[in-house]
Amino acid sequence: MSPRTTALLACFLAAACGDEPATPSAGDVGGTVVVSAAADADALIPPLISQSSGRQVAEQIFDRLAEIGGDLNTVGDDGFTGALARSWTWSSDSLSIAFHLREDARWHDGRPVTAHDVRFTWELYTSPDVASPAAALLRNVDSVTVADSLTAVFWYADRTPAQFFETTYPLLVVPRHLLEEVPRNRLRESGFARNPVGSGRFRFSSWNPSVSLEVVSDTTNYRGRALLDRVIWVVAPDFNTAVTRYMSGEADVFEMLRPEQIQEMRDRPSLRVHLMPSLEYHFVQFNMRDPRDTSRQHALFADRDLRRALSMAVDRQAMVRNVFDTLAVVGMGPVTRALRLADTTVTLLPFDTVQAQAILDSLGWRDADGDGVRERGGRTLEFTLLVPGSSRSRVRMAVLIQEQLRRIGARVQLDQLEYAAFVERGRSRRFDAMFGAWRIDVGPHGIRQTWGSTGSRSPNGLNYGGYESAQFDAHVDSALAANDAAAARAHFRRAQETIIADAPAIWMFEPRVTLGLHSRLRTARIRPDAWWAGLADWSVSPGQRLPRDEAAPETASR
Amino acid sequence: MSARLALARSAQAVVVIFVVASLAFFLIRLAPGDPFTAALNDPGITEEVRTEWRRSYGLDAPLAEQYVRYLGAVVRGDFGWSFSMQRPVAEALRAAVPRTMLLAGTALLLSFAVGIGVALVQVRHPGSMTDRVLNRTTLLAYSVPEFWLALLLLFVFSLKLGVLPAGGAVDAVMHSRMNWMERVVDTIRHLVLPATTLTIVGAAVVARYQRGALLDVLPSDFIRTARAKGVAEPAIVRRHALRNALLPTITLLGLTIPALLAGSVFVEKIFAWPGMGLLAVNAVASRDYAMVTAVVVVAGTAVALGNLVADLLYAAADPRVRDG
Amino acid sequence: MRIVPRITAPANAGVVVALGFLSLLLLAAVAAPWLAPHDPLAQPDIVGARLAPPGAAHPFGTDAFSRDVLSRVLYGARISLAVGVLATALSVTLGTAYGLVAGYAGGMLDTVLMRILDGFLAIPRVLLVLVLVSASGSLPLPALILVLGLTGWFHVARLVRAEALVARKLDYVTAARALGASGWRIVSRHILPNVLTPAAVAAVLGFANTIVLEAGLSYLGVGVQPPAPSWGNIMLEGTEQLRTAWWVALFPGIVLFATVVSVNTLAERIRSGPTGAILLR
Repeated sequence: MSPRTTALLACFLAAACGDEPATPSAGDVGGTVVVSAAADADALIPPLISQSSGRQVAEQIFDRLAEIGGDLNTVGDDGFTGALARSWTWSSDSLSIAFHLREDARWHDGRPVTAHDVRFTWELYTSPDVASPAAALLRNVDSVTVADSLTAVFWYADRTPAQFFETTYPLLVVPRHLLEEVPRNRLRESGFARNPVGSGRFRFSSWNPSVSLEVVSDTTNYRGRALLDRVIWVVAPDFNTAVTRYMSGEADVFEMLRPEQIQEMRDRPSLRVHLMPSLEYHFVQFNMRDPRDTSRQHALFADRDLRRALSMAVDRQAMVRNVFDTLAVVGMGPVTRALRLADTTVTLLPFDTVQAQAILDSLGWRDADGDGVRERGGRTLEFTLLVPGSSRSRVRMAVLIQEQLRRIGARVQLDQLEYAAFVERGRSRRFDAMFGAWRIDVGPHGIRQTWGSTGSRSPNGLNYGGYESAQFDAHVDSALAANDAAAARAHFRRAQETIIADAPAIWMFEPRVTLGLHSRLRTARIRPDAWWAGLADWSVSPGQRLPRDEAAPETASR
Repeated sequence: MSARLALARSAQAVVVIFVVASLAFFLIRLAPGDPFTAALNDPGITEEVRTEWRRSYGLDAPLAEQYVRYLGAVVRGDFGWSFSMQRPVAEALRAAVPRTMLLAGTALLLSFAVGIGVALVQVRHPGSMTDRVLNRTTLLAYSVPEFWLALLLLFVFSLKLGVLPAGGAVDAVMHSRMNWMERVVDTIRHLVLPATTLTIVGAAVVARYQRGALLDVLPSDFIRTARAKGVAEPAIVRRHALRNALLPTITLLGLTIPALLAGSVFVEKIFAWPGMGLLAVNAVASRDYAMVTAVVVVAGTAVALGNLVADLLYAAADPRVRDG
Repeated sequence: MRIVPRITAPANAGVVVALGFLSLLLLAAVAAPWLAPHDPLAQPDIVGARLAPPGAAHPFGTDAFSRDVLSRVLYGARISLAVGVLATALSVTLGTAYGLVAGYAGGMLDTVLMRILDGFLAIPRVLLVLVLVSASGSLPLPALILVLGLTGWFHVARLVRAEALVARKLDYVTAARALGASGWRIVSRHILPNVLTPAAVAAVLGFANTIVLEAGLSYLGVGVQPPAPSWGNIMLEGTEQLRTAWWVALFPGIVLFATVVSVNTLAERIRSGPTGAILLR
C-alpha cells in the first residue's frame, strides 16, 4: 500500500476545537500530573510501540527530528517546528532532505545526539527483525546517510507532498550506543526496553508494570526543562476504578469520559472536560462474501438494496443520543469530521422504516409464517453481529441495533467476543457482520486498504467485508493524487457519496475525544491526534498545589 | 507420623502440580488467536510483522515440542517471557505473588480470627437468640456474591464518602516518598476494602464450619466427664471442645486457599490490586500464554502445598491418622 | 448439668421462608410471560424513557435501553435458574459417575483418577472458566452451561468417591460381591443409594455457586450474551450507571442475593454434619 494514502488523509486534519487555555509562564515550574490510564504502556522502545498507551509515554522520553504543527498539516514542512533538528535543507529535486541536528542535544546519559543515531534509528524501524508497525510509513525512504556528525540526510524514492511528514512523524530517535549490541529480534527483552534513555524533555524514571509508570523532568534538557517535575501514569484494569480515581481527585487526567461522568462533573467545579473531534469512526460492516466459502457471495449482504434497507431501518441519531448523549455524532462514511477532506454536507441514508420495509417487501423478503422474521426461499432474514466485549459502547449500540432491526423483521444474533478473537474472525473473514472501528491515525494505513479493492483482494488486506467498487476506488485515487485541496475535496466527496450509497457498512458513530482534566492544570494547546503532545509545557496552578506536587522527585536531576 | 507418610504425601503434591501444569498448558492453547492478534484497531501491523513476532517467541513450533520445552522450563522455575508485560514472567510473579499473599494472608488470618470468635460466642448457648442471629448473619455473609460486595464497598467508601482510595496496593504517587510509618498506614488504607470483602465471606465460612465442629465434639464422652466433674461451661468450651474442634479447622485451612484465590480474581480486578488475580484476568484477555500458564501453575502449587501442610498437620495432631 | 441440643438448622422459620421464596421465584420464572408488565426486550423510547426511576409504570424502573427492569428480572430468573439447574445437573452427574468409578474400582485406577482430580481441584474454578471461556471465543447459552457444568463436578466427585469407598466395605456389598453380582449391579443397587445424600447436598450448594459464578462472569463480560437478560448481565449493565441509576443494578442484585441465601438455608437443613461441603465455592 502506498504510504501516501494516509499521509494525504492526515494532511486535511482540521485544527482542534475547544477552549484555548492560557500558556503557562516560566514561573510555573514544578508539580506532578497523574494520568489515570485504563491500559499499561505496550512498549517503550519506539519502533516496537503499536498502541497509544505506549506512545503517550515514549513521546515524552524521545524526540522527533521535527514536530508537526497544531493544525496537523502534512504537506511539505509548513507548520513543522524543529525538535532534534535545528533546521533542514531540501535538495533542489526534493529527493533528499538534510536534517541539521542541534549541537547541544544530549541523551539522558550525557552523550551527544549525533547523525549516527538518526541513521541507526531508521535502520531499526525498517529492519525486518524488528518488525516495527511504523515501517510501512517509511517505505519511501531509500536510505539515510551521515554527512557529518550533526547532519543526517534522508534519500527518497519518490517526491510526495507528505514526504517530510512521513519521515518525521513516525521516527522517535533512539541512542545507537545503547541499542547497537542488542539483537534486533530481542529488543523487547533488552534492559533498554524497561529503562529507556532518550533525549526528550522528560526522562524515564520508573515502571511498575500494570501499576504505574513515571517520567521526570530532564532539568538540563537542551530544549528547556519540562515545566512539570513529573508525570505518572497510574494503571487501573477496570474502567470504574480508572474513572473513580479521576473523579475523586487522585488523578488529574482521564482520557475517555462517558456521558454519566460529564453529568456528574457538573457538581464538581474542580474537574473540567476538554472535547475534541476524534480520528475514530465505528461502523457495522457487512460481509459481501460467504463466511464459509469466501469465493462465493454472501447470501444476504451481496445485495446492495438489502444493505441499504438495513441501514435505513436503524435510527442512528437516537442511538447515538442514547449511548453518548452529545459525546458522539452519527457517522458519515469512512471518515471523521476531524478530516478537512471530509465533506460534512454529504447526504446520508435517511432513517425511514417505511421505505426500508418497502424495499425488503419488493426484494421478496416477507414474513409468511408470522413469526416476526422475514424469509425468502427458505432462508430467514437472520445474521450474526460480532461485537468486541471490551467495548461497552459498541455492545450497547449492538443491543439497540438488534431491537431496531427486529422491528422490521430481521433477526440479529449478537456474538460478543474477546478482543483477540474478534480481530481474528475479521481477519479470516469468518463473519456476517461485525461492529468494527478504525482510527484514521497518522499511521501506515488508509482508505484504500480499509475500503478499497486493494484491501479486499489481498489476503492480509483490511477490507474485511470485501466491498469492491471501481467507482469508489477511482474517486479515492483522484482525491489522493490531486495537488490542490479543492480538487481533492471534490473527488473525495464523490468517493464518500458512492460508499454511503452502496452501504457496505452502517456508519454508526464518531466518538468525540473526552479528555477529563483537573482544573488545577494549565494545559498547552491540545492536539487532536495526541492530547499528550504538549505535556512538557503543562503546569500546575501555584495556588492549587497538592502534596503530590511538592514531593521531591524520586530520581535526582542531573 | 512416619516419614514414609510425609514422603508419600509430598510425592502426591508433586504429581498434582505436574497435572496442573499440563492442564494449564493445553487449556490456554485451545483458544483462537494468540498474543499478537490483539494489537488494537491498528491496521498498520501487517501479517508479516505478526509472523515475525511469533517466530521470535517460538510460537510457530509444533505443540508437542512447545510442551516438552515448557515442562523443562517450569522445572527450572523459568516461566518464559510475558508478551503483555514486556518482562520475564518470573519477575512479574515476584512482584505480584507477595501482594496477593499480603491480601489473601490478611483475609485468611482475619477470617479465622473473626470466624472462630463468632463460633465460640455461638456455642456458648446454642439455640439462644445470639446464636440464631449470628447464624443468620453468617449465612447472609457467605451468600453474598463477592464481586457485588466489592463494588458496593468501592462505591460507598471511595466514591461517595471518599475516605478510602479507589484502588491499587499503595499510593502510586506518594508511597515511595513516604517514611516507613506513612508507608504502613498507606498500605493499610489500600488493604482495607479488598481485605474486608474477602474477610466478610471468609469469616462467615469459618464461623459456620467451626460452630458445626464444636457442636459435634461438645456431646462427646470426655466433655461429659468434664461436666460431671463440675468444670465450668466456658472452660469446657475453651479447653476441651475447642482443641478437638480445631482438628477439622486444619483441613479448612487447606480448603480456604483455593476459595481465597478465586475470590481475589474478582476483588483484585475491582480494586486494581496488582496481584496474581489481576495478572490472570489481564493475561487471559491478552492471550499471554506464558503468563496464564504461570498463574495457573502458581495457584495450583499454592493449593497443593496448602493441602499438603494441612494433611501433615492433621496427621501429626490426630492419633488415628498418625497410627493408621 | 445442661443438655446441649444438637442443632443443625437453628430455626425452621428460615427454612419455610427460603422454601417460600424459592417456590415463588420458580413460579415467577415459569409464569414470566404472564406476570411481566412489559416485553423484556422492547425498547419503547431509547432517548426519552431511558433510566426512568422506579414508579407506577415501572416498579423497578427502566434501564439504559428504556427496557422495563422488573420484566427483565422476571425473565432473567428463567435464564439464571436454568443455567444454575442445568449446569449443576451436569456437574453432579459427571461428579457422581467419576466418584463412583474411582471409589468402586479402587487400586491403581482410583489413584490415577484422584491425582487428575486433585489437579483440577487445585485450580480455582473461576480461572479454569476464564481460560475455557476465552478459548471458545463467545458463549451461546448451551455452551456457557456446558462450561459451568464441566468445571463444577470436582468437589462432587471427591465427596462421592469418599462415600463409595465406605459403602463398598459394607457387609451387604461384600455379600453381594461374594454372590457373584456384576459390578454394574453392585454400583447401581448398593453403592449409588449411599452416595445420594452427599451428592444432593453438593447439588444444592453447587447450584448456588453456579448462579453466583454466572453473575460474576457477566460482570467480566463473558457470561450470558445480550440482549437475553440474566441477573448477571442486568447487573453489569446497571453497574455502568450505578451512581446515576442505582435501581438497574440493585434489584437483580437483591434477587440474586436472596436466592443464594435461600438455597444455602436449605442446604444447611439437609446437610448431615459439618463436612467440607460448605466450601464448594
